[in-house]
Amino acid sequence: MTNTIDTSIYAAITEAIQGEARRILSEGHVSAVVGYAAARRKGSAQPVVITDAVRAEELIFSAACVNNLAVYLTKAKKEIPKTGKIGIVVKGCDLKALVGLMGESQLKREELYLIGVPCAGVLASTAQPAQELTGDTIAPKCRECDAHLPQECDFVPDRQPATPELAGKYRAEIARLEAMTPAERWAYWKEQFKKCIKCYACRQVCPFCFCEQCLCDRNKPQMVETTPRPAGNTAWHIVRAMHLAGRCAGCAECERVCPMDIPLNLLNRKMAKELKELYDYEAGFQVREKGPLAMYDEKDDQSFIK
Amino acid sequence: MHHKEKHAFEPKIIAFVCTWCTYAGADLAGTSRLQYPANVRVLKFPCTGRIDPVFILKAFQQGADGVLVSGCHPGDCHYIAGNFHARRRFAAFRKLLEFVGVDLGRLQFSWVSAAEGGKWVEMVTDLTERVRGMGPMQEFKELALEEQWSGAIDTPELQEAYDSI
Ligand code: SF4
Ligand code: SF4
Ligand code: SF4
Repeated sequence: MTNTIDTSIYAAITEAIQGEARRILSEGHVSAVVGYAAARRKGSAQPVVITDAVRAEELIFSAACVNNLAVYLTKAKKEIPKTGKIGIVVKGCDLKALVGLMGESQLKREELYLIGVPCAGVLASTAQPAQELTGDTIAPKCRECDAHLPQECDFVPDRQPATPELAGKYRAEIARLEAMTPAERWAYWKEQFKKCIKCYACRQVCPFCFCEQCLCDRNKPQMVETTPRPAGNTAWHIVRAMHLAGRCAGCAECERVCPMDIPLNLLNRKMAKELKELYDYEAGFQVREKGPLAMYDEKDDQSFIK
Repeated sequence: MHHKEKHAFEPKIIAFVCTWCTYAGADLAGTSRLQYPANVRVLKFPCTGRIDPVFILKAFQQGADGVLVSGCHPGDCHYIAGNFHARRRFAAFRKLLEFVGVDLGRLQFSWVSAAEGGKWVEMVTDLTERVRGMGPMQEFKELALEEQWSGAIDTPELQEAYDSI
């Protein structure tokens, strides 16, 4: 099945992004713009930070613009936010991360200039950068996207993304696992976690893993074994999912960068689903001071407590 | 299985309790000379709000067959809301554990006040008996064994040798 997805608006979006970046940089509204530029390999894209209006022409938007740039505002480039107001190119899914980070006091809305991108989808990590965007090559997260049009940005190119109707893979996979017995689920995750080489790429790419010192790196006391072997891996994945519960924006960057193809976002999405059911909370749509696990209600369910 | 007579299974139960309510409750059970299974090892914390889910993981990894987490009843927290926060955290953590395949029968949460020595006894007895019925917690042990031997015990000969240790 090669059900092509219409990405014809991306050329116009590229132009609009360049124009807006040029304007805000030359008029001095921002000190830098974080966006995407063409990378060396044909059709590929990479994150770029530009501080000079002349370089605005480097900016692009294409189906290869998969990265969640929010990470550059937290830890990957720590120096950036200190230099004044920053422009950033955001897809709807990435905006959720920024919204979450604002709620957690990591970013201030007034320090950002949001260039929102109407987005029909980006390529899966398994696809080649120059490949056509189809139902087969699209990133799994885009199959169940609820944020094709980013909300409340400072600038959004006036285009309507073609929003493809595709069956959700995460949803189906979560349902499949939920239907299993605990032993079967354990066997499934054991196989998955076994593959982990503890490269921590998932942590490094996640905008929400911004702790100065990760619990999993501590050795006095050591809470999680650091070895890339079964017990330590299992603990790492459980801790990781727990720390992101109620915070994860669902950008699926963790899963994309995992060199061992571990379905990390499945855990995050399962937790998001549970927190929605338990506390009617969804991350990323609105700036909220406290996530579901940082607050409480005296009437919370306690049927599991004797 | 046929070694059961030789090594009757005694579950190891780890109890994470808050110092203000459940610990005092367990103490009361002791001073009242109430009997309860010696399978439980009690670890005292300032508050259930201080009990990080990673402690529970670690307990299972270190060989616990069952875990009890217990603190003050809602409204009685020494720090006002620690137990309310813990309640949400553990509600979420249970869902996560369940999703990765841990049988939740091995994990019990309870509110036991300083006056409830009897409830403490009941709680520990119930969990111990339930876990006894479920048998040893194998999952995390198997992971640890894989670390050492690069493989699980997958032959009857090895299993027999292991059982007889
Ligand atoms: S999840 Fe939505 S907003 Fe994000 S890349 Fe996919 S289609 Fe675009
Ligand atoms: S856990 Fe993964 S999907 Fe969630 S915010 Fe972090 S990188 Fe994105
Ligand atoms: S990116 Fe994948 S292999 Fe690397 S630490 Fe994360 S889960 Fe493990």
